Amino acid sequence: MSLYLYALVGRPVRRPLGRGLAGEQLRLVEAAGLLVVAGRVPDSPRVTATALRRHDATVRRLAGRTDAVLPIRFGTVLDDRPALARALAPRAAGLREALALVAGHEQMTLRIYGEAATTLDESAVDDGGAGQRYLARRLHARRAPEVDPLRRALRGLVSAERIERHERPPLLASVYHLVRRGDSERYLATVAAASARLNGVRVSPSGPWPAYAFAPDAVA
Amino acid sequence: MKKKSISKAQQILSEADASLLDLVDHVLNKGVFIEGEVLLGLADVDLVYLRLSALLCAADRLTET
Repeated sequence: MSLYLYALVGRPVRRPLGRGLAGEQLRLVEAAGLLVVAGRVPDSPRVTATALRRHDATVRRLAGRTDAVLPIRFGTVLDDRPALARALAPRAAGLREALALVAGHEQMTLRIYGEAATTLDESAVDDGGAGQRYLARRLHARRAPEVDPLRRALRGLVSAERIERHERPPLLASVYHLVRRGDSERYLATVAAASARLNGVRVSPSGPWPAYAFAPDAVA
Repeated sequence: MKKKSISKAQQILSEADASLLDLVDHVLNKGVFIEGEVLLGLADVDLVYLRLSALLCAADRLTET
């Protein structure tokens, strides 16, 4: 039997935790000073639509049990608790910070659709040399100028933001917002009102989601 | 066995509606990523990653119908 991981959670955690995607009883595992919700499973789950939905449903349910839920990516299986501690220890500080960030929050996602990719005008930074062009590209990758008016309208509702550019029209970018629990309806109403004033792009909101996009980078 | 899992992934993506594609992106592409001693054992995950971006584009069309 192995440990299938669902989420890192903050304290306190109310019980019962319920069951996981294979019907297994969920348990709290303490490792590297962090609390992880896991289930004992005989094998790695197969990627099926049902398994994906059950994983998401399990993580969502945990939000009703604790204030802070940091989802772990689907398909993460470890041998046992010592293996979990070894995997988490090097990044424990970053994970604690992320848990503090998502506490009391949930995620909303915006997909930005348009016909033309917004490419970086490299001539504007040509004088700056390779380093400056690199930084300009990095900055561009974190921007969504097409929806700046919408982002301004949402400012009071958003605690944190991550932007991912795709540049594969019609999908131009995804914007992930962390909002306080209970604010998702106000968020959606604001998106609906402000989207009508955008030119040349269409915005498709979804959520609330567990804070999938606010996990720190790879835990190696 | 591998062929079977690949066809399963293709099946998910070919039959997915916009909401499932959103779910796949969040659940498979995001979240705390732990590598090293992880026994992923998910032969079809890479394939899902590869096709996801293109399919999210298609999701735009799906939501309009």
